Amino acid sequence: MAASYALPTSAFPQHHYHPSSDHIHSHSHSHGHSHSHAPASLSSLSPSRNRRDSRAAGGHSRSHTNEHNHTHHQGHSHPPAQSRQSLPPPSAPSSHWRTDSTLGGDPMSIPTNGSFDALNKKYELPVGGDPHAHSHSDSHSHDGHSHDHSHDHSHDHSHDHSAHDHSVERSKFTTFLLPYTSRWPILHTIMTEKDSRRIFYFMTLNFAFMTIQAFYGYVTDSLGLLSDSIHMFFDCVALAVGLFAAVASKWPPSQRFPYGFGKIETLSGFGNGVFLVLISVEIMFEAFERIIEGRETKRLGELFVVSTMGLLVNLVGMAAFGHHHHGGHDHGHSHGGHSHGSGGHDHDHSHSHSCSDEKKHDHSPAAHAHSHGHDNENMHGIYLHVLADTLGSAAVIVSTILTHFWKWAGWDPVASFLIAVLILLSSLPLVKSSARRLLLTIPPEIEYNLRETLSGISELRGVAGYAVPKFWIDDRNSGEDAPANKLLGVMHVVAVKGADMEDVRDRVSKYLLGHDIDVTLQVEREGDTSCWCGVGRSPLSHSHKPTKSTNIF
Amino acid sequence: MAPAEDGLAPGQQTSSAPATGPAAAKNPFNFQTQFMDAPVVKSNIGQRRGHRYKHSSISAQHQVFQEPPPRPPPVLPASLPIPTLKEAWGSMNSNQRARLYWCCCHAAVAVYVFFSAENSLAMTALSHLVFFDVGSAAVCVAVDVLGNFEVWRRSSIRHPFGLQRAEVLAGFAMSVFLVFGGFDLLSHNLKHVLETVGEHTPHHTHADARYVSPGTVDFASLAAVVSTLVSAYGLRNHGRIRRVMRVPLPYLSSLLPGAGILANPFHFLTLCFAFLMLLLPLVSVPYFVWLDRVICAAIAGSMFTLGTRLAIAQGLMLLMSYSGQQPDSNSNSNNSNAVALGKKTDVGGGIGSRGKDNNTGVTAVVREIEAEPHVARVDEAQFWQVHYGLAMANLKVCLVRGCDDSTLSQLRTRLARVVQNRLGEGYGRGGYLRWEVTVQTSTDGGNLAGL
Repeated sequence: MAASYALPTSAFPQHHYHPSSDHIHSHSHSHGHSHSHAPASLSSLSPSRNRRDSRAAGGHSRSHTNEHNHTHHQGHSHPPAQSRQSLPPPSAPSSHWRTDSTLGGDPMSIPTNGSFDALNKKYELPVGGDPHAHSHSDSHSHDGHSHDHSHDHSHDHSHDHSAHDHSVERSKFTTFLLPYTSRWPILHTIMTEKDSRRIFYFMTLNFAFMTIQAFYGYVTDSLGLLSDSIHMFFDCVALAVGLFAAVASKWPPSQRFPYGFGKIETLSGFGNGVFLVLISVEIMFEAFERIIEGRETKRLGELFVVSTMGLLVNLVGMAAFGHHHHGGHDHGHSHGGHSHGSGGHDHDHSHSHSCSDEKKHDHSPAAHAHSHGHDNENMHGIYLHVLADTLGSAAVIVSTILTHFWKWAGWDPVASFLIAVLILLSSLPLVKSSARRLLLTIPPEIEYNLRETLSGISELRGVAGYAVPKFWIDDRNSGEDAPANKLLGVMHVVAVKGADMEDVRDRVSKYLLGHDIDVTLQVEREGDTSCWCGVGRSPLSHSHKPTKSTNIF
Repeated sequence: MAPAEDGLAPGQQTSSAPATGPAAAKNPFNFQTQFMDAPVVKSNIGQRRGHRYKHSSISAQHQVFQEPPPRPPPVLPASLPIPTLKEAWGSMNSNQRARLYWCCCHAAVAVYVFFSAENSLAMTALSHLVFFDVGSAAVCVAVDVLGNFEVWRRSSIRHPFGLQRAEVLAGFAMSVFLVFGGFDLLSHNLKHVLETVGEHTPHHTHADARYVSPGTVDFASLAAVVSTLVSAYGLRNHGRIRRVMRVPLPYLSSLLPGAGILANPFHFLTLCFAFLMLLLPLVSVPYFVWLDRVICAAIAGSMFTLGTRLAIAQGLMLLMSYSGQQPDSNSNSNNSNAVALGKKTDVGGGIGSRGKDNNTGVTAVVREIEAEPHVARVDEAQFWQVHYGLAMANLKVCLVRGCDDSTLSQLRTRLARVVQNRLGEGYGRGGYLRWEVTVQTSTDGGNLAGL
């Protein structure tokens, strides 16, 4: 027993350090709280056209304003953040919608779909601005480094696809489409939720593109088109899984799923991350093989056209999913993404950028894993998937160009190998953070508070001790108004002799609820040793000894 | 050397102090009696400011430091150290080490199969299966080794259920690997089909790419068979994963009742296909391209199916749900339904859908709990499985008035037993699920609002 107590004391100092080093992160949680107040104030402003939609959108734009300001005060010295701050003044007077968007909240951090809905509804419609052009200027004004490229590309693709796809002009199109979807409940649920709607649009785009590709491939007997459409199909499957997760995460708890489906998005993110890791490993192997074998790449022209089209489609996806992240917590992703996408011109250039991108990825899971991030793992996974595809097409384009000018068969394998390394590196943090959440690990800063709270329990009147405290993060109400770090848990409390057990229970549970912990409490009398938690069994320790107490029933 | 001597010297001194002079002189060790630097300490006393050591005489006199109120030691360690690779290596016993070595051999076999499949899709597919076997064996070894450490089982604040859930997570990752492999093989297959169907001349002639002359032994498939058999019989590696998939392949278990190893879908698949590939050249079946593709497609399809099922089974566990249905629970639940019929039940809170057939076990248990004489109703019942060996039942029960402590204690024990007996599946069959039952009690009319 003495040995088992040596452990906790030795473990203490570490944990005093942990929270202090992560202090910035724990601050950023509190913004999550303030964000919960937001919807009321904003939805009262806006004449609600669609109740759920406008409410969600309002909440978002507000929350991001808060978050944005706070991060600056705390001196988060992310380079992009600074460049963003310095950027608006030059571009501000040039366009009238800039003032509009400052009304609705800082546009830098909110190029989310929903916020555009809100903005367009509240401010843009009277002006009659083109919502589509508008959204682009917004999303790129903060692109610190890769201005020109991303501009080019976004214009390209927006022109390309405005004809048959609608994921760009969301607000009008969605409001136009929503009444029609009410006949199919499933479709309606998909359309009303922001994330799932975005996934759905992109999936539709992907699917349409795949069909066209397959058709033309079949007609023209083009092998490249056909195999790319197979690839597209698998992307669609991955998107469908993500869509399912986004929809299912809103399902209420039931008997079979007592804690709801909050974890399903994390699960989907984890699966996507593992998938990406496997894919990149496979690509690396193949690249090795091809370098050794020195196989020629053929049909260069066809390959070039196909991958350019794929790149365009995926850029739409990047625009759609990348900004989500942006809004959430981290300002690195889509910058990196944009420079990647446009980095098709110069290979090395795109690499250096993606490395910096990678670093930000590293930070982000720790920072946001629980701050705000109910839905982030799913969207992050999809985003990375699309990013991987974009990079893949870009690599093909680059390598075909290079092969065209310098006849060396190794360009393609080398390019795909490098891309695979990038994908691997960027998906590892996702896998790690989602695995941590799935393991029900308590993040350090919450753990610190939790230990404080727990040590206060034994000072409550009538409490002799407690055993088997087990807490995990609540994933149920993953909506906008969920408090950030709510914990659920189980605990056995020992009441001293003579104390009223109901009273002890109420006291403890009230105390814990005050600390945002919803707990199932079993109150036992002092000296009662019948429970499996083994409270009074050994006088030396209250500690739980699972190896010994496996079967007492 | 110096610190050791310093540490020893005072002890020596105190032990020899009561002894008389000759005894001290006879000391076989050549220790000098040392005195602590007393004068230095004394000269320091008046000059020290600020921090003072709590137990020094000065601090004790002036009570600069208030003693903190005595606190009981923490119930749980904040976190337990996660072993490093070195520690893990050091903690392995011989059995575990042997398993690890075997894993390496198995991996070598997988790599051999992979590289001996020159453009034969079926062989590539087989190597995927072997790779999966290696992966699961590695997971088993890792789980075994981590089980040597306290952080694995014992709960701390940071890891409330230990690290054992990592096993489920690893299983989920492996099933993602299966799905990925299935997809990958299918797409390769499709591409090859397209290449040959199109009028382009295929740049690899697949027919003679990998040719095992009829009547000889294909060493790669033989290696796959042997390694699978060793893994299955010698090490029983897949027991765990099989446990998760309660109904692995719907028809397999009915087709092969008591087939032992073969009832395990993974061994079944690997063995099956490896035997097939081994036999084809032996019986001089010409190696057609289409046959190659069909085998590949079959392997890919089964990988995909199995992977999906496995992913769902483990994903449900990771979603914090309990979905166990043991086959013999039906008769029991019928009984309890009969018991519960007379009781008016009113269940709210966590119990949403009671009439669902898919969860008869839990519903029956809840009904039985409601049928207990002292229980007025069940307010909330949350059943979920943490990992393969542990599940939690968190009940909020409203009691009738007038239960004293001993009744309460007995009731708790009884409820725990009910849950354990009903849902603790397969005690004799190796897969033992332990239930941790927590019962929050309240009496009717008590204040439930805060909960």
